[in-house]
Amino acid sequence: MTEQAFRFGRAQHLVGIAGLPSATSAQTGIIVLNAGLVHRIGPFRLHVAIARRLNACGYPTLRFDLSTLGDSAASDESLPRAQQVRADVADAMDLLGAQAGCTRFVLVGLCSGAENAHLVACSDPRIAGAIFLDGFAYRTPGFLLRHYLPKLANPVRIWRFVHRRLRPSRQLAAPDFGMAIPPLAQVRAELADMLQRGLKLCFVYSGGNTEYFNHRRQFRECYGAVANHPGTSLEYFKAADHTYILEDDRRQLVDTIERWLLRNLPQTTAGSGA
Amino acid sequence: MIARHDAERPFFFGADQGLFGIYHPPVAPATQAALLCPPLGQDHIRSHRLYRQLATVLAAAGMPALRFDFFGSGDSAGDSADIRWDRCLTDTAAAAAELRRLSGCDRIAVFGARLGGSIAVAAAASVDPSRIVAWDPVLDGADYVARLDALQDSLRIDTRRFNQPRAAEAAAGQWQGFTIDARLRQQLAELRLEPPSTQMHLIESALPATTTPSRQRFIAHGATVTPLSSSTPWEELERLEMAIISHELVQSASGLLREAT
Repeated sequence: MTEQAFRFGRAQHLVGIAGLPSATSAQTGIIVLNAGLVHRIGPFRLHVAIARRLNACGYPTLRFDLSTLGDSAASDESLPRAQQVRADVADAMDLLGAQAGCTRFVLVGLCSGAENAHLVACSDPRIAGAIFLDGFAYRTPGFLLRHYLPKLANPVRIWRFVHRRLRPSRQLAAPDFGMAIPPLAQVRAELADMLQRGLKLCFVYSGGNTEYFNHRRQFRECYGAVANHPGTSLEYFKAADHTYILEDDRRQLVDTIERWLLRNLPQTTAGSGA
Repeated sequence: MIARHDAERPFFFGADQGLFGIYHPPVAPATQAALLCPPLGQDHIRSHRLYRQLATVLAAAGMPALRFDFFGSGDSAGDSADIRWDRCLTDTAAAAAELRRLSGCDRIAVFGARLGGSIAVAAAASVDPSRIVAWDPVLDGADYVARLDALQDSLRIDTRRFNQPRAAEAAAGQWQGFTIDARLRQQLAELRLEPPSTQMHLIESALPATTTPSRQRFIAHGATVTPLSSSTPWEELERLEMAIISHELVQSASGLLREAT
């Protein structure tokens, strides 16, 4: 496996690192999208770990910075953000296609990266799968029960809750990954359409989003038939935080991604093998 | 005049092509260049944008700059567990040689934040810089190790991050998201930097007054001190994943790096 640095894109404005296995050509390429404002290496270098593990399995990868993030510049096109993201990811697919012969792609994204993966997977026919890390989820009655009932049964927690409401909080805001949440019905319909088109979807939730996701069951409560579809997989790492700051949590996540890819989108190569 | 972004060149260099760097060429022929040594661990990720801004400002002002990642960090080869102090010094020397080759400048100034500043000082003998500008460098390793240990212990029981406090074993051997090999930890714990023979500039965030013997030793050897007007939250648990941004730092550092000797 070799890693190569590229400046690429329609305005030569994007920067990325391609991990290219020794096979001369591989069908499926993996593209890892920025998590919030963190540059392409990902939180605590998570994206490097994912890319190198998948390279070792024979998947070409590209971790890159979207326009204006990390080391990438603006394309000077004055496009709406959604179109900009679609065009940037299309540029990334073109690059990995040219370098490794990939014809179909899997997108991996954490938080705002999951949102962007969803956006592109809605419309680009080259996308064969997506791995959404702490992607869209919606509060359900079950979520609310699980969230508030333990608090009501615990006087100390009630006191803390009231205390927090009455006193200005000194706690600083959590990192803002800039997720914009579309309505549930829209997301459910878009996911159903992806599955209908044959995409494989992997949803991974961490325990770091207690304000909107707190149980595996909530996924089915949100997405109904989408959750039951054979093309859908779900993993919930309750103990882990949003950005997988602990080494064992990161390893568990990377293991999960590797297993899911090998099972759902096994690599086919035209070269000498990975 | 602003340097064109497409002139910034990402590439791999060094032994086995294992080091990642981005070269910012100058807008006009230059006589001196700047090598930007990154900090390690989470400081590296948090200050990425600031380093890019600094390199862009320097290049636009006619001073070519090279940013790079140490082996085991950023986009360079290796894992976090592979990072060693001695290897960081070797990487710095390799990056300096690469910068001299790319820019054609024999004279280079070196900038580093936190451990990046410490490495710049420790590598001075092999890099032979015209000056070093260090922002909040770690001068006494033992204190630094103790503070990061304490921060890691606070992190694992932070219920704003985790559903439940995590066991000490789950967080052991790591500092704020990065594995720390026992040998690097020991090397850092024993770190006690001596002032370099070259011109040294310290840039200091507005922290609680620090009058450590090491700092005094540097000043006694002629290091200048440029204070910033605000503090920098390097070790605040609540801001662990927030970018370090400082326009004032970029202005101060670029001015000091470009100073004529």
